[in-house]
Amino acid sequence: MKKKNSILGMAFFGPALVLLTLFLFLPMLLTLGFSFTDYFALNPELTHFVGLENYINIFKDDLFVQSFLNTVKFVIIIVPLQCGGALLLALAINKAAHCKKYFKVAFFVPVVMSLAVVSTLWMQIYSPEGILNTLLGNFGIDPQPFIHSADQALPSIAIMSVWQGVGYQMIIFLGGLQNINPALYEAAEMDHASGWQKFKDITLPELKPLCIFVFITVTIGAFRMLVQPMVMTGGGPDHSTYTLVYDIYETGTVNWEMGLASTMAIVFTVFVVILTIIQNVLTKDKEERKHGNKKAKAN
Amino acid sequence: MKRRLLYLTVTLFAAACLSGCHQKDPEPGDIAGYDEGEEYLSIWVHSIEDTEEGQAYKESVETFNEAYDGQYFADIEFVPRNDSGGGYSDKVNASVMAGGLPDVLTVDGPNISAYAANGIIQPLADLTEEEESEYLPSIIEQGTVNDDLYALGVMESSVGFYYNKDIIEEAGIEIPDADHPWTWSEFLDILEELKPIMDEKGGYPLDMTFPVGETSIYYYAPFVWSGGGELVSDDGLTVDGYFNSDQTKAAMEYFRTIVEKGYMSQAPIDNLFESGRAAFKFDGAWEVNTIYTSYPDINLGVAPYIVSDNWDGGTYTPTGSWAIAASSETKDIEGATELVKWMSGVDSGIRIWNMTKNFPSTYEAFENIDVFQTDENYSALYNQLSTYGHPRPKTPVYPQVSTSFQEVLESVALSGKDVDQELDKAVERIDQKLERYTRE
Repeated sequence: MKKKNSILGMAFFGPALVLLTLFLFLPMLLTLGFSFTDYFALNPELTHFVGLENYINIFKDDLFVQSFLNTVKFVIIIVPLQCGGALLLALAINKAAHCKKYFKVAFFVPVVMSLAVVSTLWMQIYSPEGILNTLLGNFGIDPQPFIHSADQALPSIAIMSVWQGVGYQMIIFLGGLQNINPALYEAAEMDHASGWQKFKDITLPELKPLCIFVFITVTIGAFRMLVQPMVMTGGGPDHSTYTLVYDIYETGTVNWEMGLASTMAIVFTVFVVILTIIQNVLTKDKEERKHGNKKAKAN
Repeated sequence: MKRRLLYLTVTLFAAACLSGCHQKDPEPGDIAGYDEGEEYLSIWVHSIEDTEEGQAYKESVETFNEAYDGQYFADIEFVPRNDSGGGYSDKVNASVMAGGLPDVLTVDGPNISAYAANGIIQPLADLTEEEESEYLPSIIEQGTVNDDLYALGVMESSVGFYYNKDIIEEAGIEIPDADHPWTWSEFLDILEELKPIMDEKGGYPLDMTFPVGETSIYYYAPFVWSGGGELVSDDGLTVDGYFNSDQTKAAMEYFRTIVEKGYMSQAPIDNLFESGRAAFKFDGAWEVNTIYTSYPDINLGVAPYIVSDNWDGGTYTPTGSWAIAASSETKDIEGATELVKWMSGVDSGIRIWNMTKNFPSTYEAFENIDVFQTDENYSALYNQLSTYGHPRPKTPVYPQVSTSFQEVLESVALSGKDVDQELDKAVERIDQKLERYTRE
């Protein structure tokens, strides 16, 4: 019986394993291997083992460092705006008396649209004679260059990305909000708790696990920023919107330097993994402490 | 039991690998039209079958098969490509590693050097002098690497320096003839003259941008060339002293002057020229067709590309497009060369023009297309191309050169950074990429 089960198990699991190995694990291992070579896509026969040379070189490369800093800037702008924005939207929709479905769909639509389409759309919105500048003009504000200036391009793209992605996290929060036991609020009302107190002591703690999930996924998503700058600015002006993933892509496919690109990809992965672990540890700690406190109180 | 399954998995995996990587030429009779005794030639094109361009290639291959019935059979495969050239080049790269390159393939002009330097394509079989003289000089030059001819253009291209006739007339400006273009200083005076007129129209004298991608080097490298500069050395392996030469510096500073004086908009404005709010515009030859079909109100003219004050009459205007070459894996270079000649030849060129409005690459094709004789704008572009066409830099690190050119242009002209510093930084970056070719 056991044997039969294991065969059946393998039969189900096998195809997935083969595909995963072929398209995920193997490429990952190859990338790790390539990162120690000068593998050049046009001439693979000339590949040499170069040890840690690539790892040293990329940190001496101004462009790599700049793309790294740009990516961090994107993350710093996007994560709070998108997480906070999603929560606010969810709360508002949850409270809304009318047209709940309409708002839900309206805020979710950008998520469904392709990033490339959204980016092209916003290029029109941000263009010197686009609707945004026309709108600003009506308030007597001079036209802004937005994606055409080194200072404004990064925030402009970040804000567009938040607009595009926020609906997804909003739906997650909305699901969480609807799962909170109404009895908690009823009890709070009997104690004459204010709206803020209810939010702080009931809503937020109940949403905590979702917050962590949203926080981590948004962070990783922001780190992977590629399509928006690629379509809207090509990484410019003056490399101000050139991101890590963009650098990896250009190095590997445009300049054919697969070895170098692999090294960048490995560094990028390690960085994101470390960050995720830190986030996990930090948020878990608080959780456990709280649970500990609760237990102490209960006792 | 477990072990047996493991074996099975491994075998399946290996089989998948092998069947995926190993492509065998088909036998006669496998494909309609491929008969006993014919040499099989596979050909890849960077296009989708359903597009006009794809159809043009397909028809050219079909006529080749008719003309060489009993001798060769060409089998076309369409490889889709995205805007930035990915997809097609990915497939080429993968085949370089895994094997399975076709006999003949299309190559983007600027990539010919890199493909040749890395042994992806091989020199064509010798062409007779007569055959070679059928092609525009820019096509032969584009396809030649270290004195060997590797590729012939399936099409050619040009950039026009367009003007709005109504505006120019209003300002009372005379357009010079093709052999006496405006010099930089003359053109600055003209821009100054036009500025108040264009301010009134809510526009700019010049509709110009420095976009990321291939466009910038394609449109604006002529400013370096017309001053006698080159971006890389003849062998394509040195940039120091070329990319950061005085000529390049002068060109970059000229663009900065244009921006600083407000002759162009810093942020790109869509359809500035097309809406009649710019007097001049640099754009690809396709712009003529766009204006004729979509903006009939614009009275379009083609002025000669402007030149540096130090111009000595040499070639300097933009050229270059997709070409076709024989891969290093083909066993029949004679046959492959026949196919390359056919695909780039007169009939194929006329077909490309008729179906896609891309320029052909041979004199005869141009002469057989009426519009290049009858339409003053098209004939001006053809004249510019055949007399003053200059290929883009030929170097195996072309992508880096192209990117760097745009970056320096943007940071010097738009952001006002120090030109020497930016050019030297670019040279350092390009040198890093060149190491691969210079250390052996």
